[in-house]
Order: sequence, then C-alpha cells, then structure tokens
Amino acid sequence: MSAEEKTLVDRCRQGEDDAWRELVDRFGQKVYSVAYHFTLNREDAEELSQEIFLKTFENLHRYDGSFPLVAWLLSISRNLCIDRYRRKKREKSFRFVSDDAVAPLLKSTDDPAAEALKKERTKLLFSAIAEIPEDLAEILVLRDLDGLAYDEIGKMLELPDGTVKSRLFRARAEVARRIRERHERRGSAGAFQTLALAAGGVL
Amino acid sequence: MSCGELERLFLAGASPEAVRRHAGGCATCARLNADLESTAEMSAGLVLPPLAASLRKSLLEIPRRTVSCDGAERLLPFAVEGEIGADDERRLASHLSRCAACAEAAETLLGSRDLAQPIAPPWLAARLTAARPAKERGLWAWILDPKAVIAVAYAAALLVMLLGFNPADLARRVRSGQIGENTRAAVTVAESSLTDRVGALQEKIARTFAIWKGRAGGYGRAAVSNAMMFLWKSSTTKERGGERSRNRDGRGAFKGTEMTNTSWRA
Ligand SMILES: [Zn+2]
Ligand SMILES: [Zn+2]
Repeated sequence: MSAEEKTLVDRCRQGEDDAWRELVDRFGQKVYSVAYHFTLNREDAEELSQEIFLKTFENLHRYDGSFPLVAWLLSISRNLCIDRYRRKKREKSFRFVSDDAVAPLLKSTDDPAAEALKKERTKLLFSAIAEIPEDLAEILVLRDLDGLAYDEIGKMLELPDGTVKSRLFRARAEVARRIRERHERRGSAGAFQTLALAAGGVL
Repeated sequence: MSCGELERLFLAGASPEAVRRHAGGCATCARLNADLESTAEMSAGLVLPPLAASLRKSLLEIPRRTVSCDGAERLLPFAVEGEIGADDERRLASHLSRCAACAEAAETLLGSRDLAQPIAPPWLAARLTAARPAKERGLWAWILDPKAVIAVAYAAALLVMLLGFNPADLARRVRSGQIGENTRAAVTVAESSLTDRVGALQEKIARTFAIWKGRAGGYGRAAVSNAMMFLWKSSTTKERGGERSRNRDGRGAFKGTEMTNTSWRA
C-alpha cells in the first residue's frame, strides 16, 4: 500500500499532472473534512486545505513510503490545523456554534422537525468538543468525525496506539458528560418556563 | 464518575456486549455508558462536509502556483543570475515564503553574490579606476569554472565565518538536512577543502588585514570581507590568465574593471 503511495508521490514529483490529480482526489475530501472540523467555517477550511496541499506539494521529496500517505499528509499540516483551531477557540463565537457552521454536516431529510433537532444536537456536540482540552478534542475529531484509523492518528500525532485510545476514551467521556449536563440544564430551564407559563395563565 | 472498568474494557477492545454486561451491574458505569452511546450516535449520524468543486480546481492548480524543494533548487541559480521567467519567479517566491530551508539556501546564494561585488573603500576605488580595464564578461560565467566552485565555497565559508558561525556548525546543519541538495554539494566541497585550507586562509586574511590596517586604518569586518574577495578574485584571475577570452557572455561586467595582482597588492 505504501509502496504504491510512494510511486504516486514520485510521479507527482516528476510533474505528472495525472498523479497530482489522483492525490488531490484521493485525499482532498479527507483533508477538507479535517480542516472543516477544526474550524467550523467554510472559508477557513478552504484556506487551510490550500495551505495543506501547498505544503504537501513542496515537501513531496520528504515522503519515504514508511507510513500511510494520509497520515503523512496530515502530520505535515497538523500545526496549521492546531494553530487555526487555537485562534478560533479564542473567538467567543466558536463555543456558540451557529446553524450555518453545522449545516454542511447534516444529511438533508424530509422531516423539518427531525432536522431541527439534529441541528441542535450537532451544535451541542461541537460546543462540548470546544470545551474539552485540545489534546483530547483533536483525537476525538480525527477518529469519530473524520474516521481516521488509530494507527493513522498515532502516526500523525506521533503517539503510541495505547495513548491514542486512552485519550479517545477520556475525550468521549468528557464530551458525553458535558452534553448530558447541558441537556439537564436545558431540561430544568424548560421546566421553569413551563411553570412560569402556567403561573402566567393563572394570573 | 466511572469505576474505571469501561475504560479498561475499551482499551482491551472488548465487545459492546461485555461493556453492557458490566454497565448493567454498575450504576456509575451505566450512566456513563448511556451518555457515550448517545454521543456516539450523534457523531455517527453526521456526513462529511462536501469539498467544493472550486476548491478542488484550485488544489489541482497548485503545481503551477509553487515549486517543490527540488524545483526551488533547480531555479535558484537562475534566479540569482536574473535569468528567470516571471512565472517561475512567482512560483519560487511562493515557495521561499513557506520553506525555511530553501529560503536559507537562497540567502546563502544571494549572500555570495553580494560578496562577489564588494564595495571598495574610496582609496582602493581610486586605484581600481587606474587599473587596467577588464574584458567584459558575464558576472556569473565564472561559476562554470570548477576552480570557481571552490572559490564560491570559500566565499560561502568566509561569509559564514565572518558572520560568526563556525564551519563545524555549518557542516552539522548540512548533515541534518536543513540545507538543500545543491547548497549541500557546494558546502561539502568547502568542507573537504576547508579542513586543510582554512588555516592557510585565516593566515592570509590576517596578513592582508594587517597590511590594509596599516594603510587605511580600521575598516573592520567589511574591509576583511572585501580583502578576501579581492584575494580570491585576483588569484583565480591569475590562474585563469589566458582563458579569460573564453567567457563570451557580455552582460553584467564586473564594474567595468578587474583587478590584477599588481593593481591591489601593495
Ligand atoms: Zn463500573
Ligand atoms: Zn523548500
């Protein structure tokens, strides 16, 4: 697999347009997804993807085929993603995820009520991810949202599989707990509203 | 929170059944497991954000917007000579803005170009004007000469020394792959001849500097670098003597003058 990828990279280095197109088509979607999940903004994600592929092209000579190309590609650009993520996290808006931010991540359905619920849940998920420590969040994003394999994540972040897995577990537990707590808060706020309404009705 | 068993089971790669079996008999884990399952369901229901056709198109054009490090090394010598097309120049600039290693190589090359055109102190300039005019030759034609390669390597090594680095430090950086292939080759030449020649060279600098200092007072570092440039220029001029007419390329003559041994050596 990696030998085949090395050949592809060598062909790109020799300036073969077909080879570069193959590389873009094989990894463009994946890179864009990762960039999107880290930024939750189309413009930023596109800019980041460009930057990642520019770097990839410029560093093709460094690829020796000893690891999956996708992990190599993402490891080149990990700093870019993390940098952008930190900058985004400093912006307050990041924790209050907008409808637009999650729209590209939702399957369209015929059921507007179900869609609205899904949208709320997804916004909740992303704001919970933004609250947990960065080293946990990035693993959860890469595994659960981008579907990378453990060894791909391990190679990208230079971590042993065991560490990847234990961080992933902690990340999931933290996110899950936060989501439940929000539900509970909302639930009690909802109950309070109902009560206030009922009281209003009486008065 | 949890009793820790869920994490242990997860790390061990246990089946969902095994996880549920434990959660069934452990209240804290039951709650955590329910939270985990609902969160997993949430993220599993998402789709990947679609890659826009316009972005794909722009990614496909990247090979026309920049160059690889190999490409930069091929283009750099032409850029230094000013013999580079506008497209290539833009691609190279784009690469140098992002690649520290190539930017460093470029700086070294440009640095040696600046050294090749030392600014003479006024008293020397007067002597140079009086010196016999040189035949026009391409500023960079000498780079084709194998002896000149060593001279360039000297110049690079000198530049480095004058800036306060030592050759070992440079050599280490060369080995650690921070410098591009071509620069590496040039510096390897410098390194091999450096070891046995650097002593002699330093002695030469010291002697020349002493003479200059005696004549013109302290010119400091600039004077040393000028002195060294004249030193090696004049010695290659001397060695190449009659070959000079071979350099046919008429552009960028060396300030209209060229030193001979006698013109500057006191
Ligand atoms: Zn338990
Ligand atoms: Zn480079």
